Amino acid sequence: MAEAYLPPVPADPYVWPFDGRWSAADTAVLLLGFQAGPVERLRAAAQAARAARLAAAARRAGLAVFAARRGVRPGAAPVLARRAPLGDAVPEAGSPGWALVPAAEPGPDGQIFDHGGDNAFHGTGLEAALRRAGIRNLLIAGLPTDGLMHASMRAANDMGFECLAVADACKGTSLSRHKAQLRITTFGNGLFGAVAPLAAVLTALPHRDAASPHRDAASPHRDAASPHRESET
Amino acid sequence: MRAAGRRRADAVWPVGAPARPGAVAFLVIDMQVDFCARGGWVDQLGEDVSNTAAVIPPLARALDAARQAGLTIVHTREGHAPDLSDLPANKQWRTRVHGLGIGDRGRSGRILVRGEPGWQIVPELAPRPGEMVIDKPGKSSFHATNLEARLRGLGVTHLAVAGVTSDCCVQSTFRDGFELGFEAVVLEDCTAAVETRNHEATMAILKAYGGRWGRVVRAARFFQALEAGHG
Repeated sequence: MAEAYLPPVPADPYVWPFDGRWSAADTAVLLLGFQAGPVERLRAAAQAARAARLAAAARRAGLAVFAARRGVRPGAAPVLARRAPLGDAVPEAGSPGWALVPAAEPGPDGQIFDHGGDNAFHGTGLEAALRRAGIRNLLIAGLPTDGLMHASMRAANDMGFECLAVADACKGTSLSRHKAQLRITTFGNGLFGAVAPLAAVLTALPHRDAASPHRDAASPHRDAASPHRESET
Repeated sequence: MRAAGRRRADAVWPVGAPARPGAVAFLVIDMQVDFCARGGWVDQLGEDVSNTAAVIPPLARALDAARQAGLTIVHTREGHAPDLSDLPANKQWRTRVHGLGIGDRGRSGRILVRGEPGWQIVPELAPRPGEMVIDKPGKSSFHATNLEARLRGLGVTHLAVAGVTSDCCVQSTFRDGFELGFEAVVLEDCTAAVETRNHEATMAILKAYGGRWGRVVRAARFFQALEAGHG
């Protein structure tokens, strides 16, 4: 089967992916933690909208999109017991703040993985699903940069996935922690992968994403500005 | 919950102290020649090893204290099989572009290959008989190792993480320890990164929100809490 390789993405600290080989067949978008509560608390509507543009452009180009959703369930004591007294709120599974914002849902063919901590690979079938789909490269967007996003990117990197963090589709718990976490990512010629802005990725995908994020034709949900509308079971 | 939060605001272990000293694993991460000594890999890359070397004396003192306190001592070594079958292609490529790749022959033997001189733990922190030594191919000590199972088998519930580098393997191990439900601390004065600003940024990230994945404390405070917790 002839692979149609996509143009390499200018990134920091190296042109991504490392061997120039990425295609619709072996690359997936990973959307991490774009949930109503965190998006609101981190004031990350713009980053969620960019993540939605990334996902829409990827879907049009034939790439798979996977999403992870963090939530605490009754009985998930270790995580909740540790974080709640420290004042670090994790959405309760099933609550309005736990729902994915509609613009950042994985789409009709995508899959959602539920997890309780920061690492979307821990205790989920995410790695198996990526392997089954033949994925070797990951385009990652998530919240917060210094929490869920980085924890998951670290794990993916240890697993051998070639990762690109889409910087402006991520937001940290502070700007300094966001920047620092991405700088650490690029240390040593990419300890955990590479970093690039959304525009660089969109340029490399076959069809430019011309639509505004609020009129995303590929998404079944139109109203990206109303994250609380959705009710999940 | 709120009252408990206030009461525990300064606690080393916000959820609870270990039941016994052996329930605490003292994790010494990757204190290998390749990372921490002149002539090792990082040094051969032209990077400055003074930060990672400087942590050897305080860590040696803390390790002695941990041994005397009866903690479960664990050493980790990052390294790959001689045939490099456990080395991801992108990891090898990135290090080669950086100057000297994993598996390549340097002045300290083959870089980060098991059994080579540069892969050895520095003599000041050499493991003693009976201490656990974990060989890991990734950055997290829990990735592709039996560390979790061995800790559970010994009844370990708490981790004290030290070693190098703070921004890479220490942070990865600490975060994964949290994911796995261990109550963990990082010993701030017993860890370092090659670049000072990355070390400082890592400590700031780990300390935010009072320590999302566990506390960041100095070794003296850790041992003080340990002693207080056991009378």
